Amino acid sequence: MITRLSIGLDDAQTAAAAVFAAATAAQGPIAVAVTDAEGNLVFLERQDGTSAVNVRNAERKAYTAGVIGRDTSMFQLQITMDGRTVADWSDSMVTTLSGGWTLRRQSQVIGGIGVSGTDDDERLALAGAEAAAKISVDEWRKHRSPPGEG
Amino acid sequence: MFELHSLGLEDAKRARDAILAATTPADNPIALMIADEHGVPVLSLRQDGAAPRMLRRARAKAYTSANVGMDTVVFRDEVVKAKARTLTDWGDPMITSLQGGVVLRANGKVVGAIAISGNATSRDEALARKGIAAIGLPA
Repeated sequence: MITRLSIGLDDAQTAAAAVFAAATAAQGPIAVAVTDAEGNLVFLERQDGTSAVNVRNAERKAYTAGVIGRDTSMFQLQITMDGRTVADWSDSMVTTLSGGWTLRRQSQVIGGIGVSGTDDDERLALAGAEAAAKISVDEWRKHRSPPGEG
Repeated sequence: MFELHSLGLEDAKRARDAILAATTPADNPIALMIADEHGVPVLSLRQDGAAPRMLRRARAKAYTSANVGMDTVVFRDEVVKAKARTLTDWGDPMITSLQGGVVLRANGKVVGAIAISGNATSRDEALARKGIAAIGLPA
């Protein structure tokens, strides 16, 4: 038997909330999606005024980051250097649009987060990925600290 | 030119809160999809332990309710069964006849849909109705 970790709804919502907190009204409305490591949706929220394509791309970015295990910008750089295209993956959900970040816990991929709606999607999604990473670090500290310390 | 009307994120959040408040420890973990009048997601979540297929199913139910303008159980009984059709007649792989998707109307027009999966489909529908009631639009 093997055991793997997966992002849960609480952490997904914490990450999404960090994205919304990082976004300014001037940037316009955004859609945020969080998937598990298999690309299955865990949480999605769409601000008023975002288009259907923003919803779709937020999910595709999260899917790609979770399933491929690469942040989408890094994935784009990698496949370009390798002389490949997204079509090589034969998966219409895979995208190289920036704004998808891989979420990890204890060095395992536990999911992906994607943002769509602005020209700043990558930085906004990173705010969510950092919030998820902080949970991971906090858990590790709690686990590692002797009783009465930390 | 014409106007489109959709539920907004605030409406969706009210529905979500009412639905989650209505779940009991006897319920399985649920998958929830709240979609606009085209069936495009507005707010969605999958509770820990709810299988991924549950959210795929909830998404299909919400899409169906929004696009056919009917609760999915009504679509099943009064259209699919009553007229002896099959789902392939719609030529749309997202159309489902599973109970648990309910249509949200404002002043007679479809403005969205709410769907749930995770429990018996009748329970899915009952929970989805809590969301419709919480949004409180003039039907």
